[in-house]
Amino acid sequence: MSDAAFLMRQRSLFAFAGKLIGLTLLAGLVFIWLGPIILVVITSIKSNDAFLAGPFALPTEPTFAPYVTVWNALGFGRLLANSLLYAAAGSALAVILALVPSFALSRFDIPGKKLVFGIILTGLMLPQQTVLIPLYDTLRTLNLLDTRIGLIVVHAAYGMPAQILILRGFMTTIPREIEKAAFLEGATDFQVFWKVILPLSVPGIMVGFTLNFIAIWKEFVFGLVLLNSEANFPVTVGMLKLNSDRYMAVFNLPAAGLVMSQIPIVILFLLSYRKLSSGNFAGAVKG
Amino acid sequence: MAHPLADERTSFIRFALAHKFVTLFGILMPLAVFAVFVGYPIVFTIYLSFFDWNGMAPHKTFVGLRNYRYLVSDRYFYTALFNNVKWVGVTLFFPVLLGLVIAYGLRSKIIPAPALIRTVIFFPVTMSLISVGLMFLLILNPLFGAFDTILQSIGLGSLVMEWFGDYRIALYTLAVVSGWAFTGMPMILYFAGLGDVPKETFDAAKIEGAGHFRMLTQVAVPQLRPVTAVVVMLTLFESLRAFDLVAVMTKGAPFGSTNVLGYLVYLESFWNSRFGYGATLSVAILVISILMATFVMTKLMKGAFDV
Repeated sequence: MSDAAFLMRQRSLFAFAGKLIGLTLLAGLVFIWLGPIILVVITSIKSNDAFLAGPFALPTEPTFAPYVTVWNALGFGRLLANSLLYAAAGSALAVILALVPSFALSRFDIPGKKLVFGIILTGLMLPQQTVLIPLYDTLRTLNLLDTRIGLIVVHAAYGMPAQILILRGFMTTIPREIEKAAFLEGATDFQVFWKVILPLSVPGIMVGFTLNFIAIWKEFVFGLVLLNSEANFPVTVGMLKLNSDRYMAVFNLPAAGLVMSQIPIVILFLLSYRKLSSGNFAGAVKG
Repeated sequence: MAHPLADERTSFIRFALAHKFVTLFGILMPLAVFAVFVGYPIVFTIYLSFFDWNGMAPHKTFVGLRNYRYLVSDRYFYTALFNNVKWVGVTLFFPVLLGLVIAYGLRSKIIPAPALIRTVIFFPVTMSLISVGLMFLLILNPLFGAFDTILQSIGLGSLVMEWFGDYRIALYTLAVVSGWAFTGMPMILYFAGLGDVPKETFDAAKIEGAGHFRMLTQVAVPQLRPVTAVVVMLTLFESLRAFDLVAVMTKGAPFGSTNVLGYLVYLESFWNSRFGYGATLSVAILVISILMATFVMTKLMKGAFDV
């Protein structure tokens, strides 16, 4: 009797210890990953004097002055508009380029299919820096250097392989019965693609587009090298100016800039979080 | 007897004639994109590595293997190369291993609130490394940074260092910052992978009295091999691309100790106007990536990309 009571108490003690460890880990992880972000948001709504007086204190007089300063000094509206254009147009183009190849690679027994797929995937693994010089040279020859169109085309071309990987994986999960029926009724390849596969692929397209959008929004190297005029800069390149020195004299301005640069992605993140964070796109690779 | 290749070629033509739309837009078009944006640039880079060129002049001077001879004696090249290796090491250890442990902690319900944790840790994956860099310049600032202050307040003030100024540790600072931003990636991939492992596998191990450590190392890790292959591939290529953080946080300083290969290509080509030597460095990166890709494809990814 007392043994059972002892065991029960011991078990609940273990459960309590387990819970305590769990909560400690939870707090630690949240602190490490959310702490820096919260600190930046707090810093961004302080005047610089308030920051210097107490770097970690909550703002007593919250001010949006840093946002206004950064917005005007860097032309942040234009930077955001540029990034939005590059991310939206580049991703849309990458997805469009990837649609029929994904259809071809997921549906047909093409001779040499493995080789084609392998070649396309090379673009995925190629470090950007190895092609910077030729891309720079090619775009200059085509008079596309330092143009928005030039950068969009490059983003689309380098987004395509990942899109093929994702969309091909998605399309292989679509059952073949539907298209078999369509083929039996005499539909052409194009009709099957357009009327059967494409509508069923919309969820996959959304995931692919979102991932590509975020990737271009984050992208820095192409923008840095292939653009010269500030009017064309994406947010990542324009923000470089916020770091004039390794030991920044002003802290609230970079903080405000990086909060603004992240807002569109936060919105996208909130809209698509469930799809992305489930890690389902990993299935694209497993096929 | 017909040559097997000849046979395949005729059958490809037969396929192409029967499926014009699929062949044209599904096969030839992506191959053309590849040729223009990947194939040609690679060939051009290799070609350029045998020349001296300032990037502007209409003519390029052929110099044979001089750029390559310079490369093997360039100490900046070796520093950058070893920095890339160190970067990979830190990344495999910190974000990848940590991502696995967190994913396991969430799946086994040791850590509560899985949705919150996943959101919080995955969020930095969506941030540009420029933003991440600016953020950690603030946090690691020697005068007003939160990190040093926290160390001091918990009595570890002696650990405070010149995170960016000390040439011995600046690179590790960058790699750890990049790891902070990257952890969400392996975490969600492992989290999804662990969800696919049949629950019975873990239950069986539990009945046999396996603790969490054995559960993780002997049950989860072998089951997660395909996920690990993807994660390692991502890690290797992300590390080879390490550029953005260097550009925003240290620009290779102090004394070139934080240069990585990618940044060195950029410096030599677009700052020193030595496009020929920049191309030679690019060829070096290319060779390394091919070796890595071969390794990944043959050892780790066996069958993962099967069509």
